[in-house]
Amino acid sequence: MTKERIKSNKGPFTATVTANKRIGERFYRLRLEFAGAGARAFAKAQPGQFVELDLSTATLPPPDSIPENLLDVSSRNILLRRPFSFCDLNSKGSKTCVEILYCVVGPASLRMTTLSKNDLVSVIGPLGNGFSIPEGKKTALLVSGGMGAGPLLHLAKILKEKHAKINVIAIVGAKTAKELPFEMQKSQPKDFKKYKVKSQITTDDGSLGIKGFVTDCLLEWLNKNKLTAEDTIIYSCGPEAMLARVAEIAKQHKIDCQISMERMMACGFGLCQSCAVECRAAGSNETIYKLCCKDGPVFDSKEVVFRL
Amino acid sequence: MKEKIDISVDFAGVRLANPVFTASGTCGYADELADFANINALGGFITKSITLKPRKGNPTPRIVETDSGMLNAIGLANIGLENFLKEKLPIIEKMTAKVFVNIAGETIDEYVAVAQRLSAEKAIAGLELNISCPNVKKGGITFGTDPAQVAEVTSAAKKAVGGKILMVKLSPCVTDISVIARAAVDSGADALSLINTFTAMVIDIETARPVLANKTGGLSGPAIKPIAVYLVNKVYNEVTKNTKIPILGMGGIRNASDAIEFIIAGATAVGIGTANFIDPACAIKIIEGIKKYCARKKIESIKELIGTLEI
Repeated sequence: MTKERIKSNKGPFTATVTANKRIGERFYRLRLEFAGAGARAFAKAQPGQFVELDLSTATLPPPDSIPENLLDVSSRNILLRRPFSFCDLNSKGSKTCVEILYCVVGPASLRMTTLSKNDLVSVIGPLGNGFSIPEGKKTALLVSGGMGAGPLLHLAKILKEKHAKINVIAIVGAKTAKELPFEMQKSQPKDFKKYKVKSQITTDDGSLGIKGFVTDCLLEWLNKNKLTAEDTIIYSCGPEAMLARVAEIAKQHKIDCQISMERMMACGFGLCQSCAVECRAAGSNETIYKLCCKDGPVFDSKEVVFRL
Repeated sequence: MKEKIDISVDFAGVRLANPVFTASGTCGYADELADFANINALGGFITKSITLKPRKGNPTPRIVETDSGMLNAIGLANIGLENFLKEKLPIIEKMTAKVFVNIAGETIDEYVAVAQRLSAEKAIAGLELNISCPNVKKGGITFGTDPAQVAEVTSAAKKAVGGKILMVKLSPCVTDISVIARAAVDSGADALSLINTFTAMVIDIETARPVLANKTGGLSGPAIKPIAVYLVNKVYNEVTKNTKIPILGMGGIRNASDAIEFIIAGATAVGIGTANFIDPACAIKIIEGIKKYCARKKIESIKELIGTLEI
C-alpha cells in the first residue's frame, strides 16, 4: 500500500452557489457556500488570498443578453480555471461563505453570470498570501482602482473587526461612475459604510466624486494630513499602472505599502510558472521572477519592478 | 476480482506500480502536488526541466488559453542544478513514485554536466532529455529536429548517465517523427517520451501583436490529443514495436479513457500534463479509471493492452 501523504487540503472543493447578484451594468457578486473540509479550509482564509474556479461547465447566457463586444468570442470553450480574490467571508457553524466580486470581461466570466442558487462549482483554494497587518499601525489607507476594490472590502472588514484602533480610510477610483463595482448608498459604497470606513470616490471623468486619478487623491490626502510615516500603511489593488504610481508615492513618503498583483495563471498553485512578477533581488541590482500565485498575489510595493 | 488486476508495467527495466506519470513542467520539482493528492500513488514523476545554471525564464504573458488548449512560453525557468540538489533532492528521496529528472541545456556539454551529476543520485530512476522545448533561443528544440544532432546529444548523455534510464522527449514539430525517434534509439535512448508541445501563436487583434511576450508558445491540452495518439502509434509501429524501448505517451490526456487510447496506440506508460493545472488530483483519478477499465474488459494485466490497436 502506498502511504497517504497530503500536506494540506486546498481542494478541489465543491461549493454551492447561494447568490449571484448583479451590481450595476458590468459587475456581479457571487456567493459560494462551503461545507465540511472546504468550510474548514476557507474559515481561516485571509483578505488578499484567492480561489481558482472551474467555469468550464457553466452555461452561456442567451445571445440577446450577451454584451455586444463579447458576442463574437462567447462560444469559446473554457479549459483552465480562473483566479478570483474574494470581497467577503463569513464563517458560521459548519458552513463558510465566500463572496467574489467580478466583472464580465470574457467568455469565462460571461458564463459565470448564469450560475444560480444551488448550482455547484469546483473551487481550489484558499491560495497565495494575503495582506498582513503589521503591529503598531494607526492609519490604513485602502487605495483601489475599478475591480481592485474586491480584496480591499474584505480587508476593511477584518481591520474593523480585529484591529479597531486603526483608522481606516478608503480611496476608491474608477474611470466613470458606472465602473465603480459597488452598491451605492447616498453616493457612498454600501460595504464601506457598513464597516464604518470613510471612503472617497474619484472618477477619471468626474461623473462621481472627485474628478481625477485615485493616485492624485492619495497624494493630496497624504500632503494634507501630516501622518507619521511609521504609523501608516497603504494597501492597494487595481490596474498595474495605478499600482506603480501608488508604489512611487509610498516610496516618496516612506510609508509601508502592500499591493495585490494580477497575472494570467494556468494553475494558481505554483506548477505552471506562468504568473511571473519581476522583483528586485535582495542585496543586488539583479531582478528575479517571483510567482504571483505562490509568492503573492500580495507583494511589498518596494520589491516589485514595474515595466509599463 | 479487483485485487487481481495488475496495472504495473516494466519501463525500461524499472517496475512502475502503475503506468501514470505526471509530465515535466506541470507538477513542480518534487512534492508541490502533495497539497492536493497522494503523490506516492503515482507510477512515475518527471520534474520540471533542470539546467546547469538557474534560469529566470521569459517575461510575461507566459501563457494564453485557446479553445481546448493553452500556449505556454515559460522559457525553462528553473532553480538550476545545485539548488535542485540542495533543496529538492531530499524531498525526492522520500517519494515512492519513480522520479525522472527532465534536463535541458544550451550546449551538449551542459546536458552532459547535468546528466553526470544526477547519475550519482540513488533516488533518481532516470533522466528525461528535453530536446524539444519550443520556447528558448538556444538549445531546446534545435537539438530535437535534426537527426544528426539528436544522435549526438543522446549518445553524449547516454555516456554520462551511468546505469540510469535515459528517456528522450520528442518534438512533434518535425516532418517525420520516426526519423527522430530512430536516431534517439540508435544512439542509446532507453525510452522515448512523446509528444512535447506544438509551436503555436495567438494574436491580439486589437493591437495586432502576439499575446505572449515570447511571441510563440507551445500548444498543449486536449486540442493536441488526437495528433499525439497518432504520433505515438506511428513511432510504436515504425520504431519501438520489436524492441524493449517503452514509449511514455502524452499530449492532452484528461481522463482514463484518454490514457487508455495512448496505451492501445503503443505507449507503455502515459504522462499527465496540462490537466494537472485544472485538477491537481487528476493523475490519481486516472489510475483508478484504468483499473476500472481493466476490470470491465477482463484484462488481468495492463501489459496485455499495450500496442493492441486493431486495424
